[in-house]
Amino acid sequence: MADFDPKRIRRTILDMAYSGKTVHIGCAFSIVELLAVLYRTHLRFPDDNPRHEHRDYMVLSKGHGVMAQYACLGEKGWLSDEALHNYFKNGSALKGLADTHIPGVEVTSGSLGHGLSVGTGLALAAKLSKTDQKCFAIVGDGEINEGPIWEAALFATHFKLDNLVVIVDANGFQAMGTTDEVMALGNIESKFAAFGFDAVTIDGHDEDSIDETVRKLCDTQNGRPKALIAQTVKGKGVSFMEHDNIWHYTRLNETTYADAIAELGAAA
Amino acid sequence: MRDAFSNALVAAAKADPKVLLLTGDHGYALFDAFRKACPDQYINCGIAEQNMVGVAAGLAKAGYRPVVYGLAAFVPVRVVEQIKIDICYEQLPVILIGDGAGVVYSHLGASHQSFEDISVLRPIPHLSIYSPADRHELTASMDAMFASKSACYMRMGKADLGDVHEGPVTAESAIINVRDEKETTLIIATGSGVNTALQIADSLGGAAVYSVPRIKPFTAADLGPVIGGRKRIIVIEEHSVHGGLASTIAELIVGKFQGQFHAYGVRDQFSETCGDYRHLMQEHGLSAQAIMHDLEAA
Repeated sequence: MADFDPKRIRRTILDMAYSGKTVHIGCAFSIVELLAVLYRTHLRFPDDNPRHEHRDYMVLSKGHGVMAQYACLGEKGWLSDEALHNYFKNGSALKGLADTHIPGVEVTSGSLGHGLSVGTGLALAAKLSKTDQKCFAIVGDGEINEGPIWEAALFATHFKLDNLVVIVDANGFQAMGTTDEVMALGNIESKFAAFGFDAVTIDGHDEDSIDETVRKLCDTQNGRPKALIAQTVKGKGVSFMEHDNIWHYTRLNETTYADAIAELGAAA
Repeated sequence: MRDAFSNALVAAAKADPKVLLLTGDHGYALFDAFRKACPDQYINCGIAEQNMVGVAAGLAKAGYRPVVYGLAAFVPVRVVEQIKIDICYEQLPVILIGDGAGVVYSHLGASHQSFEDISVLRPIPHLSIYSPADRHELTASMDAMFASKSACYMRMGKADLGDVHEGPVTAESAIINVRDEKETTLIIATGSGVNTALQIADSLGGAAVYSVPRIKPFTAADLGPVIGGRKRIIVIEEHSVHGGLASTIAELIVGKFQGQFHAYGVRDQFSETCGDYRHLMQEHGLSAQAIMHDLEAA
């Protein structure tokens, strides 16, 4: 049984990034615990089928963190070690941003501000069909600069989509700097609350807290959509990557790869 | 034509509870019948077209058949990226309706007029494009779109110019014979242009007239049988000459057709003045009179 050990997920991400000579490591590291808890405990896939019509939906609206989702799909057994290892090889399937052609990936993202609307449609479909399916949508704090995020927030409240859980990966960075420097967001929790969400802010790396909060939010079927503001660290897990936005763009070399793997230690 | 649209929509929604109508707070009187017949299948998404298209994608992923309605200036033009990424990349069966295409909103100016909706959509894969000329073509287009397993866009332009066909037409053809006595001049038109084409044909003392209710897919196999023996092709569309029907035909015939080719559509310009529909069609050189004048000078 996959246990979604965050250390192993981060090692998988490092292996992908190193073998694929690719970027966005920091974006993936900040959402590891969030995805681990969701896949381990909360997301339901009948018949273990990522495309089952009654599945819960894991929408990665901030497609830049997709390596973390690929690693989790590997833990699920839906992606082979070979597929993960061949990341970015010519002719391979896994692309550098979330892509619906991969079973388990619900939206094609990377162009930001799309996924939450699609997720809102999925949540509405579940309500119309009177199923108990949930939709979790992870958006970046940088991503919520995009207007459609707030269109979706209005819509979700208006249509009483309490089966929609928006998770804001609040790592405090976007491409060109901190969110404060680029486009100050103010209090994210109070913004979602003002839109009519049940909103709560937690440590996005504390698995127990994530688990407990998601459970509580999902159990509160009061007609209000949910927002979990996850305070995270971009690059979490490797000391020289943490809070350093250079790891949005930097590729691993032999030394940094070895150092990062060594820091993560043995996976459980 | 608008009654035909409403009738087709209501019939489809009654037949299939998975059909949902999404509107961006437009279509006030147009949807009276729908709202009465199928109130639970009507979703006003507010004035938020980007989210509306994303929501439609989510609904389609979950097995619903969304029909997304807006003015052509907004659906598709404002939401091209959502159509490309959220709908077409995943080959979702979403029907997009762009109403008031061309210069229908003549008095309202550039924001509500749309000459570019076909151009911006043509390069997007897994998307069919319909442009009916009258209620018969519209009904056939609606049938085809509801039968499709991938995304479709239908532009609705000037709706009160009358029928160009005497009775129902089938949806299988991209191009339909309106009248053809094997004349050497062939007029190919779409939407309101077909009505104009009939006037031009009369003024010329005879010309074959074909209507194109489906601009994509539109292939050499569709066009080939129509152009044999012609010496002059005239294309008329209430859309930019860049990227619409004229471009589609030009791409297919280049190097294969040796005669004259005249494209009548909106040139590289916005509407400069305010006025009624006839006035703006005249301003853009798209009235029958303006086209005849140009042809005589050619």
